Amino acid sequence: MRHGHEIASLVRAANRIGDYNMTTNREYHHPLIVRLTHWLNFIALGIMVLSGLRIYNAAPIWDFRIPSAFTFGGWLAGARQWHFFAMWLFALNGALWVVYNLVSKHGRMTTLFSRKDSSGILPMLQYYLRIRKEHPPVKKYNSLQKLAYTTIPLAAVGAILSGMAIYWPVQFGWITKLFGNYDTARIWHFVFMALLVLFFVGHIGMVVLAGWGNFFSMITGWKRVKTDS
Amino acid sequence: MGLSTPNSRFLSKRRKILQLAPLALLAGCDYSAGGRTTSFLRTFQQFNDWVQSKVFDPNKLAPEYSDNDLTPEDGFRINGYDTDRPDIDIEKWTLTVQGHVQKPGEYTLQQITSLPKRVMNTRHCCVEGWSMIPKWGGTSLRNLLELAGADITAKYVAVECGDDYNTSFDMTSVLHPQSILCYEAYNKPLVLEHGAPVRIVMPTKLGYKSAKWIHTLTVTNEKPGGYWEDQGYDWFAGL
Repeated sequence: MRHGHEIASLVRAANRIGDYNMTTNREYHHPLIVRLTHWLNFIALGIMVLSGLRIYNAAPIWDFRIPSAFTFGGWLAGARQWHFFAMWLFALNGALWVVYNLVSKHGRMTTLFSRKDSSGILPMLQYYLRIRKEHPPVKKYNSLQKLAYTTIPLAAVGAILSGMAIYWPVQFGWITKLFGNYDTARIWHFVFMALLVLFFVGHIGMVVLAGWGNFFSMITGWKRVKTDS
Repeated sequence: MGLSTPNSRFLSKRRKILQLAPLALLAGCDYSAGGRTTSFLRTFQQFNDWVQSKVFDPNKLAPEYSDNDLTPEDGFRINGYDTDRPDIDIEKWTLTVQGHVQKPGEYTLQQITSLPKRVMNTRHCCVEGWSMIPKWGGTSLRNLLELAGADITAKYVAVECGDDYNTSFDMTSVLHPQSILCYEAYNKPLVLEHGAPVRIVMPTKLGYKSAKWIHTLTVTNEKPGGYWEDQGYDWFAGL
């Protein structure tokens, strides 16, 4: 065994000399259902947010209106039609994603935040804030990524529930009560939307920083991974 | 309530212009760009209407609030598609009831106010997103339908209004105990701006179903439309 280990490290060393890019392997990162639900979610959420902002403009909660460049659906009735179409896509697609993760355990193994991950938060923060130079050792996803990927579906659930609270304040009055009253439920709906948009901005930022390989792997499923082991 | 003649003429002109306003909005956006997209969305909207009619529980009451929660009377927002003061002779006003009814004809305000009264503080939710809680007073639509011997197995009820507005409802929603023919707000007779002498109030539906200044009510089996519904707002409009 000892010998085998030494030989392997020699081979690795030779590889490093021979190929200064190191060896690149293709790893299968994202199963089909994950990719499909990811892009359907992108479309659904895009329609939901933009048409929702048009609906917001019909009776702004605060002292500002959303510039029409960030709205969708034309007038109020059009925006409502888009919103109440895309809500089904958003909810059913989300449900498919949850069921898949529960059945396949894909999410549980890779992106679900667990207590073990809490110790990794501080080092990752230090790394992102450039206090720490070397990337902390992680598997596929680091603690902060896991935290984000685990909490953001909760924001989506919050958006759906607060949406039901203002779509059906009589039939689902108990949900409306959960958020205070009709008017406060509107504010909650806006807050959950803002959290989802914030996640999206951060998500895009990370893709740009980490390289477009991540982006293409969400289309093809495969990712080029540098390996030296 | 008489408006002077030049004012009325101005109003009728303003009305014509305002009726075209939604078309201008349509023309100014991509919404009308794809006819196929539009018809897909309209079809999908009918699916949502169907879902809403299934979710609607005829026995579920909208929350009724205490007097402390009322929107102050001076904050009771006036909202219409067109004019706030249509030409209505309240003295001579009657409600025409027609269609599938045994006793069609004109019903007076006195006949309506002598029916059992219901006072309720319910939330009025506008499709735009704002809401308020006025104190409404009136009689359940069911009472009038019974008075007129209406066939309550008919599917729809349509109303026409003094400002040329019109809308319609499914019979199940009309028979809901909180669906009222409203003639009072804040314990006082309805003022003209809020639909005097009689308006509809339905706390289980969006505000555009609570039609003001109604003068004709039709019980029918053929699905009627409505001013806003025909332009793209959802017909069921349940809350």
